Amino acid sequence: MHMNDRLAHLLVRLYPRPWRARYGAELEALLQTGRGGLRTSANVVWSAFHEHVFPTPGLKIEQSRFQSWCVRAPWAMFGLAPLLLLAAAYFVAGFILWSGWKIFLPGTNTPFVPIDGPANFYFQVGRLIYFSAPILIGWAIGLVAGRQRLKAVWPAVGWILIALIGGTAQVRASRTAVLSGVGHVRMGFALGPSVHGIPDGLFHALVILTFTVLPYLIWRLQKTHFVSS
Amino acid sequence: MCENYVMRSTRSVVAVKYDSGTGYYSDPPLLVLASLASGPKHGHAMIEDIASLCGTRLGPGTLYGAIARLEQQGWIEPLPPEERRRPYRITAKGARVLRAKLTTLRQFTKAGLQRLEALCI
Repeated sequence: MHMNDRLAHLLVRLYPRPWRARYGAELEALLQTGRGGLRTSANVVWSAFHEHVFPTPGLKIEQSRFQSWCVRAPWAMFGLAPLLLLAAAYFVAGFILWSGWKIFLPGTNTPFVPIDGPANFYFQVGRLIYFSAPILIGWAIGLVAGRQRLKAVWPAVGWILIALIGGTAQVRASRTAVLSGVGHVRMGFALGPSVHGIPDGLFHALVILTFTVLPYLIWRLQKTHFVSS
Repeated sequence: MCENYVMRSTRSVVAVKYDSGTGYYSDPPLLVLASLASGPKHGHAMIEDIASLCGTRLGPGTLYGAIARLEQQGWIEPLPPEERRRPYRITAKGARVLRAKLTTLRQFTKAGLQRLEALCI
C-alpha cells in the first residue's frame, strides 16, 4: 500500500531546508510510490532527525536569520533566550499549581497535599514541566550549538545558568501570605542545606548539568572519533 | 520478499554491520554503490535491486541519507530527472572506492571463513 500524499509531504517537511531543497521532491515521490506503513514513516522520521543532528557535509547551508543571530549575538541565543524560555516554563508550571490549587483544593492552606484522580494528573503536568524544563532547554542548547558548529564557550554559559537556576529554584505556596487569601505561589532561589558538605541546590545543579551536557559530549566524542577514523 | 529494514546512520561509509541472526548485510552507502554498479537507477529501483542483491531492504530515509552523502563525496552523480524521479549513476571515483571496499571485504571474508573452518565447530 502506498503512502498517503499528505503524510509523505509532512514527513519530508521534517528534514532541514537545504536538504529538502535538494532531495525533498525525490524522496516525496519515492514515498508516494513505494511502500507505506509505520516502519517507513519511522525510518523517515529517524533519518530526518539524524540529518538535523549530523547534517550532510557539503550541502549548502542557508545563512538564516537564526544562524546569523547565533554568530552575532551568542549571548542572546545561549544566555538570554534559555533564561526566558525557562522563565516561561516556570510561569506555566506555577500557573498550573496555582489554578489547580484554586480548582481542586479550595479549602487547603497549601497545594502540596496528597491527592488522587484527575486533580493529581493536573498537578503532575505542572511538575513535569517544572522538572523537565531545565533538561529540555539544556538539550536544545546542545542541539543548536552542534548544528551551528559553534565553540562550546557560550553554550557552556547557558548550561551553567540553566543548571544553577534549575538546581536552586524552590516553589513556595501559602494562602495566608497575602491578605486576600486567594493563595500565593512564589519562586525563590536557595542553595539549601548541605548534604555531605555539598549544598543541596548545588548538587541538583550538578545533576542537571550532567544530564544536559551529556548528549552534546557524546556527540562531540562521536564526531572526533569519526574524523580521526 | 525480504523484510529486513535498515534504519541506521549513513554518516560513516566505512561502518559495516552484520546481523548474526539473519545474516543480512547492512552498509547503506556500499549497497547503493553496488546497486549502481549495474547501471543508473532511481530510488525505488535501488531499493528493489539491493533487496534482491543481499536481502537488505533499505528504508527510504536511509536510502536518501546514503545518496546525499555519496553525492556530496562525488561517488555518485544525478542524471536528468524522469518526471519526479531522479536516477543516479556511479562515478569513476565511486567505482574505484567500491572496488577497493569490495576487495577489502573479500580478503576479510576469505580470512574469516578460513579461521572458521580451522575452528571446526
